[in-house]
Amino acid sequence: MQALRLVRLPWTKLRHSSRDLLAKRPTIHWLLSALVWLPLGLFVTDCIANVKSIRGRSMQPTLNPDDSQWRDVVLFNRFTVRILHKYNRGDIVALKSPVDSKLIVKRIIALEGDVVRTLPPYPDAEVRIPPGHAWVEGDEPFRTEDSNRFGPIPLGLVESKLSYIIWPLSRMGPLGQPVIVRPDARRGSPDWRKSQADLEREKWRSSRVTLAPESSSPSS
Amino acid sequence: MAIGLLTRLWSSIRNTAQNPKVLIQQLPYRGLQFANFLCALHLFADHVATISSVQGPSMIPTMANEGEIALELKWINVHKLARGDLITYASPLDPSRPVCKRVLGLPGDVVCVDPTGTYAPSTEHVVVPKNHLWVSGDNLAYSRDSRVYGPIPMGLVRGKLYARVWPLRDATVFPSNFDFID
Repeated sequence: MQALRLVRLPWTKLRHSSRDLLAKRPTIHWLLSALVWLPLGLFVTDCIANVKSIRGRSMQPTLNPDDSQWRDVVLFNRFTVRILHKYNRGDIVALKSPVDSKLIVKRIIALEGDVVRTLPPYPDAEVRIPPGHAWVEGDEPFRTEDSNRFGPIPLGLVESKLSYIIWPLSRMGPLGQPVIVRPDARRGSPDWRKSQADLEREKWRSSRVTLAPESSSPSS
Repeated sequence: MAIGLLTRLWSSIRNTAQNPKVLIQQLPYRGLQFANFLCALHLFADHVATISSVQGPSMIPTMANEGEIALELKWINVHKLARGDLITYASPLDPSRPVCKRVLGLPGDVVCVDPTGTYAPSTEHVVVPKNHLWVSGDNLAYSRDSRVYGPIPMGLVRGKLYARVWPLRDATVFPSNFDFID
C-alpha cells in the first residue's frame, strides 16, 4: 500500500498542477475540451462527406474549366460509396490510381458486363468489363491518365463520389446529373451553346458503351 | 480501493436515478458523448488495429475454415510489405467483401501464374507491375486469387494479419514462411 502511494504521489502532483494551469488559462481549457470531440469530426470526414479542392485539368470542362480563375471546391460524398457501395454510370468519382495510389478524379463510363470501345493508348479495340470492375475516363480525353492507359479498375479503389460544387459560386450545384438542353437558355446564347456541347460529349461517351444485357436502362 | 470506487459509482447512479429531471436534462449531452466514444472506437478499428474473424477454406492450413479470430493491423505502410505477409484487401470481384491472402510477389518480381496449371499453363510467367502485388491463398484448390484476377493494386490493401488470438490454444504471431532456395 505504501509503495502504491509512492507511485501515485507524482501523478497527483501532476494532476494538481495541470488543474491550476487550466484554471489560469481559459483558452487552453477551451481548446482541450474541444479536442475531446475530435473523433466525431474525424468520423464525419472519413465516412460521410468531405470537402476538397480539385487540381489539374483532366475533368475539363466539368471541373476546373479554362474560364474559371479558381480551383473548384467540391463536396466528396463518401457515404454512398464506402457504406452503401452504390456505383452508377456517369458518376464522377475519386479513386486511388492503380499506377501510384494517388487520388485521381474521373468519370465512371461503364460497369461490369458492359462492352467499351477504347481510345488509342489501350491495346484492344473493345473491352468487356469484368465483374466488380469499372471503366473510368476523364472528361478531357487529351490530358488524362485513365482506363485507356491502365485498363478497367476494381471498384474497391473508388473512395468517394463528387456530388456538389461548392466554389466558385457561379457554377455551384449538383454534379453527375443527366445532361439536358436547358429550357431557359435562348438559342444561340453562350449558356445554350455550352449545354449543347455537354450534350454532344455525353452522346459521344454513351455511344462507345454497349450496356450489359441485364441492365438495359441507362439510368441504372 | 476498488470497493471504494464501486460504492462511489453506485451512489452516483442512485442519485441520478432519484432526480429524473437532471437525467432528462443531461440525456442529449450524454448521448452525444456516447456517439463520440463509438466514433473513436470505429476510427481505431478502421485505421489502427482490430480483431477480425476469418472465414472460408482458401487459407487452410494457416487459418481454419471458420471460428478463428486474428489481430489485424490497419496502420501499415503498403510499400513495406514483404513476401509471405498475410494481407486483407477489398476483393476486386466484389468491393464490399474483404478477403485475406498471402503476398507472393512484390512489384518487379517474376511469378509463375499458376503452378497447378488449372487457370493458365504452368509455364506462363509474368512480371508484377509497379504498385501492384501478387497474392495467393494457401489452399490453391479452393482459392480465388491473383491466378484469377491478376495482380491487385496496392490501393485495395486494407490491413495485415499479425497474430492469431483465438482459439487461445493456437495463439501465435504469424511467422513468415518464405525461404530462399539456391
